[in-house]
Amino acid sequence: MKHWWKILGIFLMIYSIVAGIGIPLKPGIYDASPSKANTGEQFTMNAVGYLTQFDKTPDDLRAWLKVGNDFAIAANSIGVKNESTLNVSFQIPNNLPTKDRVVDASLIIDSKKNGYAIFPSAVFITNTTQQTSPEGWNNSIADMHEFKSMAFPYRNILQETIRNLFYHVPLWFGMMIIFLISAINSGRFLMTKNQKFDHKASAYASVGTLFGILGLVTGAIWAKHTWGAYWSWDIKQNMSAIAMLVYLAYFVLRNSFEESEQSARIGAVYNIFAFVTLPMLLFVIPRLTDSLHPGNGGNPGFGGEDLDNNMRMVFYPAIIGFTLFGAWMATILYRIEDVKQRIEDRAFYE
Amino acid sequence: MNFSTQIFHLIKKEFILEWRQRYALSGILLYVLATVFIVYSSFVRVPDTAWNSTFWIIILFASVNAIAKSFIGESGNRTLYYYSLMNPYAVILSKMIYNTLLLLILCLLCYAAFSFIAGNPVQNTGLFYLILFLGGTGFSITFTFISAIAAKSKNNATLMAILSFPIIIPILMTLINLSANALGMIKNTAYTNDILILIAIDLILVGMALILFPFLWRD
Amino acid sequence: MKEIISCIFTFLFLLTQNLLFAQSSHDQFMRSNGKIYVVIGVLISIFIGLVLFMIFMERRLKKLEKELNENG
Repeated sequence: MKHWWKILGIFLMIYSIVAGIGIPLKPGIYDASPSKANTGEQFTMNAVGYLTQFDKTPDDLRAWLKVGNDFAIAANSIGVKNESTLNVSFQIPNNLPTKDRVVDASLIIDSKKNGYAIFPSAVFITNTTQQTSPEGWNNSIADMHEFKSMAFPYRNILQETIRNLFYHVPLWFGMMIIFLISAINSGRFLMTKNQKFDHKASAYASVGTLFGILGLVTGAIWAKHTWGAYWSWDIKQNMSAIAMLVYLAYFVLRNSFEESEQSARIGAVYNIFAFVTLPMLLFVIPRLTDSLHPGNGGNPGFGGEDLDNNMRMVFYPAIIGFTLFGAWMATILYRIEDVKQRIEDRAFYE
Repeated sequence: MNFSTQIFHLIKKEFILEWRQRYALSGILLYVLATVFIVYSSFVRVPDTAWNSTFWIIILFASVNAIAKSFIGESGNRTLYYYSLMNPYAVILSKMIYNTLLLLILCLLCYAAFSFIAGNPVQNTGLFYLILFLGGTGFSITFTFISAIAAKSKNNATLMAILSFPIIIPILMTLINLSANALGMIKNTAYTNDILILIAIDLILVGMALILFPFLWRD
Repeated sequence: MKEIISCIFTFLFLLTQNLLFAQSSHDQFMRSNGKIYVVIGVLISIFIGLVLFMIFMERRLKKLEKELNENG
């Protein structure tokens, strides 16, 4: 079976699309208002859930406001309006547990059916008495429920776009692997002087550039709905665009020679040199300055809680699938170039 | 001839050639002075951020101009003659060492011109000299190798710009970041990390250039 | 031929724009309060990219076929 890897690539791509779109998110809190409260008041807030089923188990609902890691107050009444809306009331103590004038509290809602959900910085509580005491604040958060069925984590700004991790990130991983194959083929060309390897290197470089440009486009779409603009001149975006310029320069260089042996040789040298600078552009420099992108400028990467085991089961196959699919495209492009070379050779000898 | 004497003779050859064509060197010096003066007259009171970025951009363009001719300027027959005598590693290394020296002089001159005309906001002078040294080395390594590639083509001046600017960006970004530190614009105590990154980039580029040059120079 | 292709792409582009982005204010369209249309937009842009690459490869192949026909 010669074509097994192509079938595997297609299968993994279909799997990553079906599973990546089909598996639901965990229930989460979408919105909470009002977002300002004072100490000592009876505070009622309206919480809107996402994919929640509050009306199924109204008696099992519990809610807290949490300040820092150690202090929390439990809700004194919870009213269910419909499947996704709750009225939660808290008696906020007279004093704040910390010295700050204003603290931000996270809203935590736990239910047997939905598991627990956290809405970070839901309320800003202003200390009206200017006194600090932990009285009334305790940490009674315990016996949390987990969401039982298979689901991806809910993150507040990301929401459903957390699924883009299966389509945007594998493009970049696939691009790196494909550029690596391209550079290896350039090295083999320099060793053997066999034109075949140069055609392979240029075909893989074309597919890698396609993946990179698609990575930029998908990243821009994702950024529009999470960072607020298609292009926010973020260092990661800029450096990725420059990395694409490096490879566009490779194609310009190849086309600027008439003799094919010279074009292949110098192209191969530049290709290897370009591949070495690629990790600096994509991974080293974005770490130096502030960036919105995960994994750069002090931001944590996707990992830990954001990339849970359910996501890994789609994410890694997606990387393999995209890479194999890219390799298939590159193979077809290489074969076209190879046939062209053979036709030219035959015409030359005749 | 052993390796080190080869390098010595090649560098000597570069200096003699440069001295014969003084107009090239003086053209670059004039360029530096003119741009610094333009920067000063457009800002009058140069803010630190502008000082930092224009300083490195002027050095970038001056060094492209200075280095672009290092392989392009050599005629085919002479190249063939001494390439057949010399080790290719000696050829590229001598060019790199010579260009580094040239760029260091250029950097110091640019710094002097800047401090004379536009003021000197550098607070950590020792760090700034170290950055100038590392920056000059990085620029000369990259541009020397790229000019060796671009010299093979007919429209080499355009190609030099297209090929070298995306590749120089990592070094340039690190340099601007580091010299913002030396200017006291940002207080980052962990700048040794950036210096290590710069040294690592320089070493990797030298290594790659040495490995790849033998494939490049023989036509 | 080129005009037809560009017409089709313009149509598809407008269609997706209308379907995915104009509807985002309504809650009925495909869980759209959770930004699912962003994921669909990303998938469609990847698909369009792959199709464009197919066209690019086909044009290379066509040149080759022409060359073969001329050389006999």
